[in-house]
Amino acid sequence: MTRSRRFLLLLALSLTLTTGCFGKHEIDDLAMVMAVGLDPGQTPGSVRITAQIARPSDVRGQTGAPTAGSGEPIWTVSGEGDTIMAAIRSIARFSSRRVFWAHNQIIIINEKLARRGIKDALDFFSRNHELRMRTWVVVCSEEARKMVTLKTGLEMIPGVSLHKLFRYSQVVSEAPRTDMRTLSAAYLSESTHPVLARVQSRSRLISVQEGSQEHGSNPQVELSGTAVFKKDKMLGWLDMEQSRGLLWFIEPVESRIVVLPCPSGDPEQNESKNGKISLEIKHNTFEVTPHYDGKKISFTAHLNADIDLVEVGCETNLSNYDLMKQLESKVRAKLRREIDNTVQAAQHTYGVDILELGKIFHNVYPAEWKKISKRWSELFPTVDVRVEIEAGIKSPVLLQKPLQPGK
Amino acid sequence: MEPIQELLQTRFLPDLAENEKILDKILGHSSDLIRREFVFHSQADLRCLCIYADGLVNMQMLDLSILKPMMSWNALLPESGRVRPGKALAKRVLEHLVTNASVRTATTFGEAIQAMLSGDSMLLIDGSDVAVIAATRGYEMRSIDEPVTEPVVRGPRDGFTENIRTNSALIRRRLRDPLLRNEVVTIGEKSRTDISILYLEGTVKKGLVEEVRKRLQRIRIDGVLESGYLEELIEDAPLSPFTTVHSTERPDRAASALLEGRVVILTDNTPFALLMPVYFWQFFQASDDYYARYWAGTFFRLIRYLAFVISLTLPSLYVMLMSFHHEMIPTPLALSVAAGRESVPIPVFLEALIMELAFELLKEAGLRLPRPVGQAVSIVGSLVIGQAAVQAGLVSPAMVIVVALTGISSFAIPNYAASFSIRLLRFPLLIGAGTMGLLGFAAVFAMVVVHSLSLRSFGESYMAPVTPLQPGDQKDILIRVPWWKMDKNLHLASSDENRLSNNQKPRPPTTQVGESLFEDRSQSKPQPGSKQNPEQKQTPKQEPKLKPKQEPKQQPKQQPKQEEPKQEPKQEPKQEPKQEPKQEPKQEPKQEPKQEPKQAPEPAPDEKRRVQQSSKPGGKPPKQDRAWRRGRRDT
Repeated sequence: MTRSRRFLLLLALSLTLTTGCFGKHEIDDLAMVMAVGLDPGQTPGSVRITAQIARPSDVRGQTGAPTAGSGEPIWTVSGEGDTIMAAIRSIARFSSRRVFWAHNQIIIINEKLARRGIKDALDFFSRNHELRMRTWVVVCSEEARKMVTLKTGLEMIPGVSLHKLFRYSQVVSEAPRTDMRTLSAAYLSESTHPVLARVQSRSRLISVQEGSQEHGSNPQVELSGTAVFKKDKMLGWLDMEQSRGLLWFIEPVESRIVVLPCPSGDPEQNESKNGKISLEIKHNTFEVTPHYDGKKISFTAHLNADIDLVEVGCETNLSNYDLMKQLESKVRAKLRREIDNTVQAAQHTYGVDILELGKIFHNVYPAEWKKISKRWSELFPTVDVRVEIEAGIKSPVLLQKPLQPGK
Repeated sequence: MEPIQELLQTRFLPDLAENEKILDKILGHSSDLIRREFVFHSQADLRCLCIYADGLVNMQMLDLSILKPMMSWNALLPESGRVRPGKALAKRVLEHLVTNASVRTATTFGEAIQAMLSGDSMLLIDGSDVAVIAATRGYEMRSIDEPVTEPVVRGPRDGFTENIRTNSALIRRRLRDPLLRNEVVTIGEKSRTDISILYLEGTVKKGLVEEVRKRLQRIRIDGVLESGYLEELIEDAPLSPFTTVHSTERPDRAASALLEGRVVILTDNTPFALLMPVYFWQFFQASDDYYARYWAGTFFRLIRYLAFVISLTLPSLYVMLMSFHHEMIPTPLALSVAAGRESVPIPVFLEALIMELAFELLKEAGLRLPRPVGQAVSIVGSLVIGQAAVQAGLVSPAMVIVVALTGISSFAIPNYAASFSIRLLRFPLLIGAGTMGLLGFAAVFAMVVVHSLSLRSFGESYMAPVTPLQPGDQKDILIRVPWWKMDKNLHLASSDENRLSNNQKPRPPTTQVGESLFEDRSQSKPQPGSKQNPEQKQTPKQEPKLKPKQEPKQQPKQQPKQEEPKQEPKQEPKQEPKQEPKQEPKQEPKQEPKQEPKQAPEPAPDEKRRVQQSSKPGGKPPKQDRAWRRGRRDT
């Protein structure tokens, strides 16, 4: 190699030393935030941030190395400021480690703050490069501070347990799976208004130890409904039944339970008059088609569901065709009621399009949409939504007939 | 003193005393170069001198083939009265007295001394101006043993030894082709080491052997002690961390390289043979792959590629993710690693470097230690020290896992030299990843890749056949295709011949057990297709001719057996309509009734089956029989 080439190579290699390991952080110098709660602050117009930070040495099994272990897997801190960024920086004032947001699992927003408007939060969490768009966002009616400090029992870190709540929420299908992405999509869209899932704390757990601090019950966090927004301000809540109806429109529903009382007209019902049947909705297709005849806008929602019998509390012979038909019609009625309820709430109680109907209309009639898009918020309460449901009971899982006593 | 070179060039003088003086000057008086003086032909009183190197010669052979005949049988020499000294004397001694299998004459001191130092014996006769050289080599050699660096589970367990003749014999045993050439070159001023160049003429590409010879002849060095010297002196890319010459201790590997059109270089005094040219992907091929079935071969080869990737990149990836890109790590892993690193005082990059260096130290120490101590150190060192270091809070447990995994992966690569170059490359990658994160890792990796793409090995691209892509050669790179598929020669050989003929895929016989014995003998190769059918139809004709006598004897046996399963008649009509359209010219149905009753006499185990099928009343064998066979043949 010639001299000049050698020199150039050395120069290039020494460039690696000039970077000074820029951007390097040791992983144990990071305070990883697992969950963050937003509350309105003491002074009006300010925000209080509560961050749930994981303590790694207490999270995972010990290696025998000396640690500053105090047994608590999380360390919760809060800071206040005029804006969210200021509040976060105020946390950095007393935290010994750099606050690291990339592993944040969930954002909890207080109802009051939500009613005031979450525009700034939305902007901050979208703009910041450390925060991910897949972080769940929920609203709660209590103080977010309290929700963030709650210790749920099953997971080491409560933030992770909240995150997993959403992962498996499709089993229950009673709250929408809202993350920053869906929130931004709804916020930015021309017609749809955002919704956020609701969490609340409920005493469900029974502690094993008597006399311990958790004697009585440990409050657990549960998904229980939806918050309806107009642009960025919250308007109100949807209860469980309305949320269920809402979910058909905005998400693919995987599985759901419908509980019905036993069909009447059965002579053997003496003992079990209050018997109930549980049906599970397995495969379903839900489609909304718009119709526009120049003046009137109407939508048809078509739901086609396959239903399994999962629990039968009556002693009926279910191979009876008429009985099945009865059950099916009851299910249909129930679902129809749910959806009508939701549509009612969206159109009349709140008057905002949270059902993505505008988007569907836009997809099918783009030219007409251009004309009416400005007036959509007034038109929305006047549109007709017709619901058609087809439900078929396809399988009784493992038992053809309910278990009957041999006597 | 005259320079040795000149002395070595001088020719022998007819006077023995003069020769002795010159020999004294050249050789001095070494205790292991022994001179045996004796008298030959008592009447003429000719003095002779036999010089040999003690330890290199086989004393028995020396006694029997030189000394004994010369000293005791000189009476056999014709014209015993008149012995004329001179050139002719040496030749006559050669032809009549010295009974050694390999003899020659030498005219200069240099030639004779060279031979003597190699283990031959030098015989000087007073009055003759040539020396007789007899091959009496017989030194202590290591016995043929399993190669230490390349053991296999299945395969031959003989490895090369330090004797070049044994090594070439091991190769010749495997390739008994007359086209296998063995050329000898002597390299090294002082060591005069024999170097053999082996190649299969006709299979090697033109120009390769010339190039090899040219490079070897360029070498001017004082001694070649190992083939590694040659490797460094003839390789294409002396500055590259990648080896462009393959070294192996296994003769079966050398033989297969010869078959592929490569050149093998054997060096005396070392069991390592050199193969050239080489592809990078060859270093992941172990002999095992070819001897076990191709499923196993393919599986282990894929594991080796995985091991290659792990051993090259795992520490760098770990350092890079943990120092710069924490958002790419899944949360539970991030927490685990952070927990492990709580008490460690040094940053991840430094920790990785230290652990890697410690691991290399352990490996090197394990090599140098005597065997019993070495075992203890490897176990104690890795387990206890690693554990203790973690407990003391000096390293994190995740780092120990990473380093251990890397080390184990680097052992999975069959060729030691290649695994070393990969280990070497790990460090720049680590430094790049530790200083500049993903950017640094990608930059260094790109540099390594670009460099490796530019390499050539004796004219072949180093990264072939992946790039430049040679689709026909892909059969042995990522997976090992079965032997019946490896039919073409590699691109680096002259592609005139095919390795395998077509249609080598084995399959079970397609005819009945009994009859097929006859039918297969009458055919050359089993081939699917209708061309065979006329042949096979003919053979049944032959059978009745062969066995006409057996018919009357066996027919009575058939009748009681006809009552057996009546399902057969049901099957027959079903099969007939299906298979009749498949029948070829209508001659068959006419032929069948003639042939089938004669086909009935068959060896006993088959007879039962045949008889069952011919359970139609009247003794007519069913058409199903023929048709069934035909159907089976359509595989």
